Amino acid sequence: MLLNINVNVHFQIRAAPCRNVVLYGLEATGKSSISKALLGQLSPADETTSDSEDQLRHAIINSTECVSGRHLLEKTVAEVANIVGWQGKIGRCENLAQLVVELGKMLDRWTTLDDHDTGGKRLALVFDGIDRQREAPPTLLPALARLGEIIPNITVIYIVTSPRPNFLHLPGVPHIHFPAYTKPELLQIISLTEPTPQLPTGKHDTKEVWSRFSTAVYESLSKHSDRDIISFRRVCSRLWPRFIQPILDGSLSPTPFSRLLVANRSLFQNDAVLVPSIISSLPTPSTKSNIQTQIQSQAQTQGLTAQLPHTSRLLLLAAYLASFNPPRTDIIHFMKSATLRRKKKGGGTALTSKTPGVSKNRKISRKLLGPQAFVVERMLAIFHYLREDASVPRKQEGRRRDGMERREDVIGSADLYMAIATLSSLRLLVKLGAANAGDALDGSSRYRVAVGWDVVRSLGRSVGVEVEDYLAD
Amino acid sequence: MSDNAEANSHAGFDSIDHQPAYIYTPDTSTDDAPERPTKRRRVTKPKQPGIQTHGKPSLLRFEPLLGGLESEESARWRQETFQKCWGFGRLAKQEQSILDESNEDTLAEVSSFVNSSRENWGDERLPACFIVTGPNIASQDLLFRQVSVRLKSDIDGPVVILRSGDAANLKAILKKLIRDATNQRSDDDDMLAELNDRKLLYYDLEILRSFVTAHGSQRVVVAIQDSEGFETNLLVELIILLRSWMDRIPFVLLFGIATSVELFRERLPRSASRSLYGAQVDVEQTNSIIERVFQKAVASSKAYLRLGPALVSMLVERQHHHIPSVQSFIAALKYAYMSHFYGNPLSFLGNTSSNSLEYIGQLQPCHYEAIRMLPSFRRSVVERIEVRDINGARELLEDDAILAQNIKTELHSKDGKILCLLRALHILESATTDGPGGIDLYLTVFGGALKDSDFFRRLLDSLERMTPEDLISLTEKIRAAIKHGNSAMDLDGWAEADQEFLQDIKLIETKVKTLTATAVEKGVPIRSSESIHSKGLRTTVIAQRVQLSYQKSTISEAEKEYQGLVGRLLELFEEYFTLENPQHLFLNEVWLCNSTTPFADVFVPRPRAAIEHALSSPQEYLSGIDQNLPPTQPETAILYQKYLEAPSLINVADLWSSFLETVAGGEAEESDERGPLMQFYRGMADLNLLGMVKQSKKKADHLAKVSWKGL
Repeated sequence: MLLNINVNVHFQIRAAPCRNVVLYGLEATGKSSISKALLGQLSPADETTSDSEDQLRHAIINSTECVSGRHLLEKTVAEVANIVGWQGKIGRCENLAQLVVELGKMLDRWTTLDDHDTGGKRLALVFDGIDRQREAPPTLLPALARLGEIIPNITVIYIVTSPRPNFLHLPGVPHIHFPAYTKPELLQIISLTEPTPQLPTGKHDTKEVWSRFSTAVYESLSKHSDRDIISFRRVCSRLWPRFIQPILDGSLSPTPFSRLLVANRSLFQNDAVLVPSIISSLPTPSTKSNIQTQIQSQAQTQGLTAQLPHTSRLLLLAAYLASFNPPRTDIIHFMKSATLRRKKKGGGTALTSKTPGVSKNRKISRKLLGPQAFVVERMLAIFHYLREDASVPRKQEGRRRDGMERREDVIGSADLYMAIATLSSLRLLVKLGAANAGDALDGSSRYRVAVGWDVVRSLGRSVGVEVEDYLAD
Repeated sequence: MSDNAEANSHAGFDSIDHQPAYIYTPDTSTDDAPERPTKRRRVTKPKQPGIQTHGKPSLLRFEPLLGGLESEESARWRQETFQKCWGFGRLAKQEQSILDESNEDTLAEVSSFVNSSRENWGDERLPACFIVTGPNIASQDLLFRQVSVRLKSDIDGPVVILRSGDAANLKAILKKLIRDATNQRSDDDDMLAELNDRKLLYYDLEILRSFVTAHGSQRVVVAIQDSEGFETNLLVELIILLRSWMDRIPFVLLFGIATSVELFRERLPRSASRSLYGAQVDVEQTNSIIERVFQKAVASSKAYLRLGPALVSMLVERQHHHIPSVQSFIAALKYAYMSHFYGNPLSFLGNTSSNSLEYIGQLQPCHYEAIRMLPSFRRSVVERIEVRDINGARELLEDDAILAQNIKTELHSKDGKILCLLRALHILESATTDGPGGIDLYLTVFGGALKDSDFFRRLLDSLERMTPEDLISLTEKIRAAIKHGNSAMDLDGWAEADQEFLQDIKLIETKVKTLTATAVEKGVPIRSSESIHSKGLRTTVIAQRVQLSYQKSTISEAEKEYQGLVGRLLELFEEYFTLENPQHLFLNEVWLCNSTTPFADVFVPRPRAAIEHALSSPQEYLSGIDQNLPPTQPETAILYQKYLEAPSLINVADLWSSFLETVAGGEAEESDERGPLMQFYRGMADLNLLGMVKQSKKKADHLAKVSWKGL
C-alpha cells in the first residue's frame, strides 16, 4: 500500500505536475507520517548531491499548532522562506492575498536562482489537518486551491479526515484515500514495536509472545472498540507488563502460550483499560493494580462526597431535584402537608392516576431529557425542606444540644450564598446565560446541575436523604 | 487608612456636580480666568497631616468599660495583656508555620514529579500532575504560590500559573503563558519575539520555543490553578495545542482540582484525556490542619485564653457545615481573643505568668462589684453556705480585701487545674484508638462531662473485658504518654508530678506480667472476666436426643487475682479522671471565653434575612411607626408587604391602586395623587435595586416576582 501511494503521489507531483492533492482517511491511518516520509525521500537533504534536474522541496504546516487563520498564514510564509533559503525581508502576512504575493516573490526568486534551471523546481506545501483549523477564514480552502494557478511550481497537499464533496470549489482535484488498516495489517504493524519490558528468556521469545498477545488483545478488546492503530498500541502496551508478570515472577514460562492466556484471562475481560486514564499507575504494575485503580476511583467519588461540607451537599441535592423535577410537582413533594402522599413513592401517582391519555404528551422520562434550568429561589426552597429532613451527621450528635444550628440561623445567611457561589465555581452547578449577565446570586439567575445520578445518590445517603423519595417519575 | 483613601477619592467632586440646577455666581477674581479645570479622578493628596497624626494611635485604644467607671489604666492593662497573648502575631506565626508545613509534603511530591516527568513518561503524552486540593478554593492560591516558588528553585525552567479569571480565550491564555514564561529571565524579550527578522504573533509558541532553546530550560511548568473554572473547550484546546508542541517544548502541566480527578476526566473529551498522563497528589485535608492548629492554639498548655465548649463546638460546626477553611478558623480564634480582652473588664487578670498579681492590688471598687456579679462567684458563695461557712460567705460579699485574697489564690491554682485537664486529655487521646478525635475530646473534657460521657464509660467497660496482653499494652501506652508529654500541645512530661499514679499503674502492670508468665508456664490462659461470667451452653447428644445444659465456668486462682487487679485499675482510673468542670471554677469568666453571641453576627452575617425583616416590620427599626397604621411606614416597606401578598406576576396598575389606597387612606382625590405617585416610584426603584422585581417578559404591564421571603 505504501508503495501504491508512493507511486501515486510521485506521479501526481512529478510526472504531470498537479496543483492540488487531497489525502483523506480516518484518524491514525498514516496520512501524515507517510506523506512526511515520502516527501522527505523525494526531496534531497542538501542540494549539491542532487543530480537530477528537478528539485522538490516541501514544507509541512500542522494546523493543530496554529491558533488562528492568520497564524497559519504567517507560519506558512515562515516555513517556505526557510525552505527556499529566502534572505530578504518578509512582510506581514495578514490575509490570503498577502500570502499569494509573498509566496510568489519567494518562489520566483528561488526558481530563477540558477541560470541553467529548466523549471523543474517544485514546492510541495502540506497542510496537515487543514479541516480542523481554528478561526479559519471562509475563503481559506478555495483560495489555497487556486494558489497553483497564480504561482507556478507549487503543489498543495491537503490532509483531511473526511472531505466534503467539492470542498475546494475546484473540479478535478485528485483524492487519495487512506483506508483503515485491516486486521492483518494492524497485527503486522504492532509486531514491529518492541515491547517493554522484555522477557528474560530472550528477544525471540519476546517477539513471539508479543505477537500472540497482540492478537489476543485485538480479538478480545480492540476489535469492538479501539480499532485504530494508536489506541490499539496503547492498550497493548498498557496490558503488556501485567500480562507477562507471571513470567517475570517465574511462575509461568512463555511457552505454552495458552496457559499464560488462561492465567491472565481477567485482563481481557475488563474493558476499563479502553477508557484512557489520565492517572498513571507508575511503570511498576502488579497484578493487583487493576483492582487497585478501581478501588481508587471509588475512593475518589467518595472523596468528593466526604470533602464537601454539609450545606453544600444539601444544596447540590436540592439543585439536582430542581433540575430534574418539573416545577409543578414541587407542591406534591415539598409541601408540608404532603408528607404522607410523598411516602407513596413520588408524584408519579398524581400524573398516572388521571386518565391515561394525559401522559401521551410527554413520554420521554425526565431523567433522559437531561437537567433543566431552575432559578436560585426554587433551589433554596427545596434546600430548606431537605435540611429538615436530613439527619445530623453522626459525629455531630454529641454536640447537638448546645451547638446545633437553628433553622433561622441559616435562612438568608451569607454562608449559604457563599456555598452556592463555590459550587458554581467548581462547576458542579452551571450558570446559564451569558457569563457576565446579572449577578450570580440574583434570585432570577438560572442554573443547572452538573453532577450525575450516581454522585447525587451517594451524596444523599451521606446526609441521610433518600433522593428517590423526592424524584418525580 | 482605606477610609482615608475613600474620603480623598471624592475630594475632586464638586458638590454641585450632581445638582439639577444651581445659581451661577460668576467668579469675581479676574486674574486667572481661563484656568484649566482640575482633573476629576486621581486627585490623591498624599499627605493629610491632620488626619494621620492623631488618627492612628487613638484608633487602637481600648475603651474603658463598666459604664466608663473603669480607669484608663486598667483598660491599658487589658490591651497590653491582649497584645502579649496574641503576641503581635505570635500565634498567627505559629499557625502560618503549620500551614507551611502542611503543604510541605505536597510540594515535595510535585517537585519530584516534575523532575522525574521526562524520564518516566517519555511518550508523546503530556505529563500532568493533578493536585487535589479539596473544595476550599481559597487555599489554592497559597498552595500554588508555594508550588511556584518551590519549583523555581528546584527545576531549571519557567513556571507559569494560569487562573480562570486571567483569560477568556486561547489567545489570551497563550499570551499570558508566553509573557510570564519569558519575563522570568528577561534579558531580551524583544529579540525573542522575532525570528529571522520576522515579528511573531504574540500568541505564537515559537517565542517560547526560542526562549527555551536559548536558555536551555529543562522544563516549562504550566500550572492551571482552578481547572474547574476554565471552560472545557478552552482547556481541551490548550491541552491539544501544548501536546503538539511537546517535541520542541518540554511542557509539564499541573492541575489544581477541587472536586476529584474522576469528575475532571469525565469533563474532558477523549482526544484531550488521551494526551494527558500523570500522577495524582493529594493535599492534606483542611480538617487535619485545623486539628493541628487547634492543638497548638487552643489546647496548648501555653495558651492564655481557654475557649469554652459552646464556642468551640460552634466554630467546628461552622467548619463542618460550611466551607472548611483554616484561614477563617484562625480569624475566628483571633476574634475570640480580641473580643474577650476588649469586652471583658476582668480579662487582664487571666494572665498569671506576668504581673497580674500586682494588678489585683490595684483593683477598683467597680471591679469588685463586677466580680460579685459573676455567676461563678455566686456559685462559690452558695457552696460556702452549703458547707455552713456562713461567715466566709459574708466576708466574701462584704470585704474587698478578703475577696482579693481569694482571687489571688484562685488564680494561682487555676493553672494547675487546667494542666490536669490537659494531661487527662492527652492520656486519653494517646492511650485509646477508637475514641473521639482531639477536638471532640476537648469538648467533653472542658464541658466537665468526661466521667458521664459514653466514651469514658466504654473505655471502662472494655477494660473489664481486656485480655492481660491488651491491658499491659494499655498501661504501657499510658506510662509513655505521661513520660513524654505532647509537643504539639506544649505539654512536657510530668512523671514527677504524678508519681503516685504512675507507681500504682506500674505495680499493676508488673503483677499482671508475672501472672501471665506463670500462666504461660502452666499452659492455662488467663481469661478476662467477660469470658468467665458468660455461661457456657453445653449440648450433648445422648441416644439421638439433644440435651442442653448450662455450665458455669470455674475461676482459677490466677484469674481471681487478675480480676482484682483490673478492679484496682478501674478505681485508679475513676479517681484520676475525676476532673473539675472548668466552667464551675471560681473566676472562670476571666480566662474562659465561652460566649457565642458575638460570633454569629460577625462571621455569619445574614444580609438577606436582615433586609427582609426590616422591610416587613420596619417598626422594629424606626421610631414613630405604628404597625397598624401603614401610612406611617416608609413607602418601600409598604410596597414590600404588598409584594409579599402578590402572585408571581404582579400587575403594576393594581399595585399602584392598592398603594394609593393605603397611603391616602381611601379619601384620595385627583389633586394629591402626585405625592403618593412619587413615593410609589421611589419604592419601586428600591425594590428593583434590591433585586426583588424585574420586568416580566410575558406581559408588558406586569412585574415578575423574583424573591420570596424566608429563603
